[in-house]
Amino acid sequence: MSFSWIRVGAVARKEWYHVRRDPFTMAVGLALPLIMVVIYGVAIDFIIKDVSLAVSDSDHSQASRRLIDTFVSSNYFRGRSVPNPASAMTAVVSGDAKAALIIPPTFERDLLAGRSGQAQILLDGCDNSTVTPVLSYLDTIEAIASSKLAGATNDLPYDLRVRYLFNPELNSRWFTIPGLIVVIMAILAVFLTALTVAREWENGSMELLLSTPVHPIEIIIGKAVPYAGMGAIAIAFVYIVARFAFGVPFAGHLWVFALGCALFLVTYQAQGLLISIATRNQAVAMQVAMISGMVPSNLLSGFVFPIASMPRFFWYFTMLLPARWFMTIARFSFLEGSNFSQLGVSFLALGLSCAVMTALAVRAFKRTLE
Amino acid sequence: MEDEVVVEAKQLLVRYGDFTAVDHISFAVRRGEIYGFLGANGAGKTTTIRVLCGLLPPTSGDVRVAGIGYRQDEAPLKAVARPPWGMRISAGGYERVERTIKTKVGYMSQKFTLYNDLTVGENLDFIASLHKMAPAVYRRRRQELLEFISFKKNLGDMVGELSGGIKQQVSLAAAMLHDPEIVFLDEPTAGVTPAGRLRFWKLIRRLAENGKTVFVTTHYMDEAEQCGRIALMRDGRLIAEDSPAGLKKLIFPEPVFEFDPIKPLSFSELKSFETHEAFSFFQPYGHRFHAAAANAEVWARRAPDLRTIFSIRPIAPSLEDVFIRAIEGRR
Repeated sequence: MSFSWIRVGAVARKEWYHVRRDPFTMAVGLALPLIMVVIYGVAIDFIIKDVSLAVSDSDHSQASRRLIDTFVSSNYFRGRSVPNPASAMTAVVSGDAKAALIIPPTFERDLLAGRSGQAQILLDGCDNSTVTPVLSYLDTIEAIASSKLAGATNDLPYDLRVRYLFNPELNSRWFTIPGLIVVIMAILAVFLTALTVAREWENGSMELLLSTPVHPIEIIIGKAVPYAGMGAIAIAFVYIVARFAFGVPFAGHLWVFALGCALFLVTYQAQGLLISIATRNQAVAMQVAMISGMVPSNLLSGFVFPIASMPRFFWYFTMLLPARWFMTIARFSFLEGSNFSQLGVSFLALGLSCAVMTALAVRAFKRTLE
Repeated sequence: MEDEVVVEAKQLLVRYGDFTAVDHISFAVRRGEIYGFLGANGAGKTTTIRVLCGLLPPTSGDVRVAGIGYRQDEAPLKAVARPPWGMRISAGGYERVERTIKTKVGYMSQKFTLYNDLTVGENLDFIASLHKMAPAVYRRRRQELLEFISFKKNLGDMVGELSGGIKQQVSLAAAMLHDPEIVFLDEPTAGVTPAGRLRFWKLIRRLAENGKTVFVTTHYMDEAEQCGRIALMRDGRLIAEDSPAGLKKLIFPEPVFEFDPIKPLSFSELKSFETHEAFSFFQPYGHRFHAAAANAEVWARRAPDLRTIFSIRPIAPSLEDVFIRAIEGRR
C-alpha cells in the first residue's frame, strides 16, 4: 500500500497521452516559447536608435559644431538643421522630430569667458519610451561634450569615458532573453499544470483515480512529470537560441543555472497544482493562473520594469515572488557569471518558496481527497 | 458462504457541515446478491456508496466491506477489527483501511470516468497499473472481461468514439479489472438506450451468478425489478428494505386496481379522482391509472359508480407506484 513508482509512471504516461492529443496543450508547450523568443528577441528592441533631432544652431561657432558633432556621432541621434529656435519647436510639436537641440548665439562666447555654455534640449514628453533612454544618453553625451569642449579651451588633464560592464554594447537582447525564460516557464508550468487536476474533476475521472489504491502523492508527481519535461525542453530551447542565434554570452555555471531552473519549475508547478485543486474548474483555473502566474512574472519580476525603481510597497512585495529571484539567477548566470554563493540570497528565497508552495499543494490535494 | 454478509453498515452517518446526507442507516448485503438502492436525487445513495468504496470517511458509524471493517466513533479516526468479519487491521487509521477496501471493491461512478482521449487499451492499461497488476495476470483478466462484455471493437479505438452503451460496458470491465468481490454501480445505465440497458443487466445478473455481489442504484423501475432486494432511501434515511414483491406488499397493504377509462377523461374529472374518497392512491400509468382502495367499506359503496367510467381489474402495484408513494410521498 506504500508509494509506488509503477503508479507514478502510469499517471505520467496517461498525462502524456492527454498532452500529445490535445492541440491546445501542444501549442502552448511548443509554439509559445518560439513565438515569445521571436517577439522579444527580434521584434522588440529596447534600444532607441536614430532619434530624430532638430538642431537650431544660432552660434555657428567651433564649440557649437563640436557639440552637435557629439550628438550625431553617438549614433543615437539623427540630426537635421532648422533655421531658428521657433522652427525647432515646431518640428517637435508636429512630430517631425522627437527632440530638439537649441544652441543660443552666445554659446561659445560664454564658454570662452569661463562661464558655463548653455544649450537647450526639447523632448517630446508624450513618448515616454523615447524620453527615458534619451535622457540616459544625454548624460553620457553631456559628459563627453563638456570634456571635449573643455579640452578645446583649457586643455583639462582628464578625459571622461563611460564603459558598460558585462554588456558593453548595452544590447537589450542580452538582458531580455535570459529573463524570457522566466516568462515562458510561468506560462508552461503554472498554466498547464493548473489545468490538469481541474480537468480530472471536471470530467469525473477523479472518481476513477480515487476508487483505485493510488496515493495522492503519486498522482501529483505523475501529473507534474510531463509538464516538467516540457518546461525543461523549453528552457533548453531558449538557452540554445540565446547563445547561438542571439549571441548572448553565458558567463556563469551551467549547474547553478540548472538548479535555479529546477527549483523555479517545481515552485511554479506546485502553484499550478494549488490553483487546480482550489478551483476544480478549468476556466477559472486558467484565469487564476493568468493573474497569479503570468502577470507577476511579466511585470513584477524585473523583466519589464526594474525592481529598483518600483515604489517601496511593490519593492517589498516582489520579494514574495519566486519569479523575481529566478530572474536574478537567470540574468546573473548569463551575464555576470555569478557563482552559487554570490546568488545565495536568491537561491535561499527560491528554495524557500519552492518548499512552501509544494507543501501547500500536497496538503491541499490530500485534504480535498478526503 | 452463500449467506455470508459482505457489505454491512450500522448507524452510518455522513454530515457535510450542517447538512446530513446519510442519516444513521443500517443494512447488510450478502454474497451474490443484487442489491438495489432507490431514491430521489440527493437522497444519499451516492454518498453511501462513496463511504462503502472507501472514498469518503463517514462522520460516524460502523462499516464492514469485504471483511474489512472500521468504526468511526465521534473521534478520532481509528480502525477496528472484529473477529466475526475476520481480517485484522493494525492501527493504521482510515487511510490504511480505505486502501485495503479499494483493492476489494470495484466502483463505477455516476459520471462516465474513463478518459475519452485515451484508447480502450490505454484506459485499461492505466487502471491495471494503478492496481499494480502483474502484466500476465492483467492480460488474462482483460481477455476474460472483454469476452464477458462481448467487446467487438478494437483495443486501439478511442473511448470517446464508442457509443454510450459500449462505453458503460467498458467502464464495467474497468471496474472489474482487479477482480473485486463486490462491485458498486452508481446509475450505470443512465443515458443508455433500452437495448443497451438490457445487455448491461444481463451482465449484472451474470456477475451475481458468478458469486460477485452487485450494489446498484438506478432510476429505472424495470431494472429495480431485477434486484434481489431493494433499499428505499429518502432524505438520507433508509425507509424500507425488501425484495421487489415484498416492498410492494409493504408499501401497498391495501388492494390495488388498474383503472382503464372507458371514454377519455376531462382534466377536471381527472382532478376529482385524485382527491376521491375511495382512493388512498391514484396515479396515471400510461393512459391508464393505478389506484389503491382507501378502505373496504367506502370502496364497496363507490365501486359501482366508478365501474361506469372505468373498466377495473385488480393488479399488483408496480415498483413505480411504490416509488411514487414511498419516495415522493404522493397519494
